[in-house]
Amino acid sequence: MRSLKQRLVPFWLLGPGLLWLIFFFVVPMYFMGELALYSGSLRSGFELTWAFENFPNALSGHEEQILRSFFYAGTATLLCLLIGYPLAYAIAFRAGRFKTLLLFAVIAPFFTTYLIRTIAWKTILSDDSPVVSVLQTLSLTPGDGRVLATSGAVIAGLTYNFLPFMILPLYANLERLDLRLVEAAKDLYSSSRTAFLKVTLPLTMPGIVAGVLLTFIPAFGDYINAELLGGTGQAMIGNVIQSLYLNQRNYPEAAALSFLMMALILVIVLVYIRFAGTEAFMGDEDDAEGAK
Amino acid sequence: MVSKDRQQGGAAAVLAVMVAIVALVLGLAACGGGGGGGGDSSEAPTAKAGPVKGDLTISNWPGYIEPGKDGTVAEFEDETGVSVKYIEDVNDNEDFLGKLQPQLEQGESGGRSIFVVTDWMAELMYDLGYLQEINSDDLPTVFENMSASLRDPSFDPGRKFSIPWQSGMTGIWVDQSKAPEIKSINDLFDPKYKGKVTMLSEMRDTVALVMKAEGVDPAEATNEDWLAAIDKVKSAVDSGQIRRFTGNEYNEDLNAGNVVAAIGWSGDASIISNENAEWVMPTEGCVLWSDNMVIPVGAPNTPAALGWMEFVYQPEVAVKLAEYITYVSPVEGLEDLAKPEVAKNPLVFPTPEFQKNCSTQVSPPDVEEVEEAWQDVLTG
Amino acid sequence: MSAAARAWAWLRHNALPIYAGLAVAYMLIPIVVIAVFSFGDTPKDKLTFTLDDGFTWEYWRTMFDIPELNDALSTSLRLAFFSTLISTAIGTAMAIALVRHRFRGKRLANLLIVIPMATPEVVIGASLLSMFIYYTFALGFTTLLIAHVMFSISFVVVVVRSRLIGFDRNLEEAAADLGASPLTTFRTVTLPLLAPGVIAAALLAFALSIDDFVISNFNSGTTVTFPLYVYGVSLRGIPVQVNALATLLFLVAVIAVSLVLVQQRRAERMAAVQPEAEPDGPIPLPGTAATQ
Repeated sequence: MRSLKQRLVPFWLLGPGLLWLIFFFVVPMYFMGELALYSGSLRSGFELTWAFENFPNALSGHEEQILRSFFYAGTATLLCLLIGYPLAYAIAFRAGRFKTLLLFAVIAPFFTTYLIRTIAWKTILSDDSPVVSVLQTLSLTPGDGRVLATSGAVIAGLTYNFLPFMILPLYANLERLDLRLVEAAKDLYSSSRTAFLKVTLPLTMPGIVAGVLLTFIPAFGDYINAELLGGTGQAMIGNVIQSLYLNQRNYPEAAALSFLMMALILVIVLVYIRFAGTEAFMGDEDDAEGAK
Repeated sequence: MVSKDRQQGGAAAVLAVMVAIVALVLGLAACGGGGGGGGDSSEAPTAKAGPVKGDLTISNWPGYIEPGKDGTVAEFEDETGVSVKYIEDVNDNEDFLGKLQPQLEQGESGGRSIFVVTDWMAELMYDLGYLQEINSDDLPTVFENMSASLRDPSFDPGRKFSIPWQSGMTGIWVDQSKAPEIKSINDLFDPKYKGKVTMLSEMRDTVALVMKAEGVDPAEATNEDWLAAIDKVKSAVDSGQIRRFTGNEYNEDLNAGNVVAAIGWSGDASIISNENAEWVMPTEGCVLWSDNMVIPVGAPNTPAALGWMEFVYQPEVAVKLAEYITYVSPVEGLEDLAKPEVAKNPLVFPTPEFQKNCSTQVSPPDVEEVEEAWQDVLTG
Repeated sequence: MSAAARAWAWLRHNALPIYAGLAVAYMLIPIVVIAVFSFGDTPKDKLTFTLDDGFTWEYWRTMFDIPELNDALSTSLRLAFFSTLISTAIGTAMAIALVRHRFRGKRLANLLIVIPMATPEVVIGASLLSMFIYYTFALGFTTLLIAHVMFSISFVVVVVRSRLIGFDRNLEEAAADLGASPLTTFRTVTLPLLAPGVIAAALLAFALSIDDFVISNFNSGTTVTFPLYVYGVSLRGIPVQVNALATLLFLVAVIAVSLVLVQQRRAERMAAVQPEAEPDGPIPLPGTAATQ
């Protein structure tokens, strides 16, 4: 029999976080939502006119940036996964005592602030640098023989800056993997590749789902990589919202576009979860038990 | 499994909690305001004068004052006993307005007594009712020493709410070792420099210069003129002619050798380490602008703010500022006091002859329409 | 086995660590660049990323000479510390509730976790600011802390949750069978097993806080954080001391983690020498994380 006290435990656990998010996220978002239905300008004043046309207006003309954001964030997430999974695996199982040190090395770049890291990269990748000359001879440069101010640079920036967001959840989940299962699989399936595909991968799926979400979602709304590393024609939807809010001071349209963007991401996330399996995301233990 | 009764009991509890939360949110939100705006300047308060003492908080652009014990702030503190908090958080006019707008809307300035913003932003803030007016009787030194050309700008005749801090010119920084033949904005559209040219994201600089190069006077330009110039820039963007649009960071590309020319500001020599780069006055003329001190609504200690303005307009103080900042001082007649090499620098002491084709920075007739078209090009 | 075959076998066996090593090197490239240029003399003491003027220790000697830089850095470190503490605690609690307990509204709670990650920073920053102003909160360290915790909670939840999913409850049931109270079980069994996930989440929260620019910019009032300081000075030239400090931070952190490692090894050696001594923490079982 579960006592009332026991039934309330989840609420005690959830409470502080939920309240924090409600007061400091939901309430401000409510104001934003209201703002999306306003019309007017800063000079003439904003007022609530139930301007639902703000939503299609915000969207029109910006489809290219939305698709581009999807492409950039998606590519960056894929690259992060390809680079991050082996690294997380190595840290979890081959690093021994140096685990924490290596995990630390993963986030250490963040101590230097985004701007300085990016300036360092821009120095390495400037048009006249030896690195770019090598890339040019290998015909690896996008654009007209330069690396900076191209889509490649923006994607590289996104990948680099979001790697920790992929590695840390992967590691958290991978570390729990019982290597005996992997050993058993290798015995069963003679090839390590099959063992990986049939045992390791499914078992670590929750980590992959978490990593992909933590990387893709913020990358989609990012604006700073495109601003500093991109040129003309690399603007993402984050840059559009920034421009609407700060440069055009069109607060209603900025709010409307933000909500549309959030809705779009939610749809993508829900589709993804359906595809990857709910238990990998929702983590209902009973579902997971059933899957076993 | 959990019995049906238990499930329903649990469900009812959760539902009750959720309803309570939603009610709370709506209740809070119902008290909330919206985006505000629609201010007006007709009842702007006048900044009160008085004894200069106490604390003073100033928000200015980076690099506009000499730091440390020998700097202007220290001098002011020594002379008046005022304790100054000098913050360099104006990185961009629009970013600054964006972060201060909710407070200004409520008549607060976040503790600041002085901002320094560019002409058009000062005008916008005033129109929105975010600024206090300044009585010229309270600022004898300022109005005695201010350059004649700055006394009656079109956006603030008689200087009722803005006092110039430094002025500057927008022209072209050219790497003389790579493209010495660039002398006009039109040269930037030459395909042989494709991808090696940057322009400022500031519409009132770039588009105005493009218009001037087409023979249009920005002060007289119609909306169509602005939009036509924006179209010209857009074609250059589509063809890959323009590498990117920048704020202050055009110096990075110049220093790294990524570009041969960049539209940029005259006083930035101190941040450009490329020795071959020189600021060129375009043949069709430059754009003139000033960054101005303004007093926001809700500013604490306006007497000290006025005292600061008086202080920096004294010639001895103004000449030191000009030598450090290398922009154009608003104080007249400093050539005799300045160091010789500075006095000869046309970027710090421009002659009327030097500036003969220049236009002051203006806004387009229909700001919103033109701004939107411009932002579409920037975020294209 | 021929030499070539042995070399190939060695390569295959070590492919993973080699790859991981390359990945870590990639992550550290900007740090190396930053460190190198902290020794480069420059005419105006502003960062130029060239070594034309020779080597100097000057900026390391004068590292703490810029009061604004020191204030900004200490503000950011304090902010990150408290933000990490609070958000990790709240987020871990939420993750436990979400994975282990059944209750209605779980889907809604899950959604509430994901949405903040999907919101563009300028929208979060601006809407929080409006709310703070409306309710006349004074802007400063407290509002920054509130904002930082708010955007970190979601990331902590996702990371901890990915570790919790499929967690083996047997150990905890065993502890309960042995007579441990729920709190003791939590303290001695659950928490240590959860530790890698919590540490990973805390690292992520720390990185998020120390590197945040946009949201801090809106909600800082006149307080200056390290990223805000760097952004401000970057317009007129970054003092080289910034590089020196950033490198120092990195070194200090690496040394601190290494010291912890050395300490752990020493503790292990002591435990091996005195087998009668009570081991701290849970009884290690073979093949689980706790043996690390």
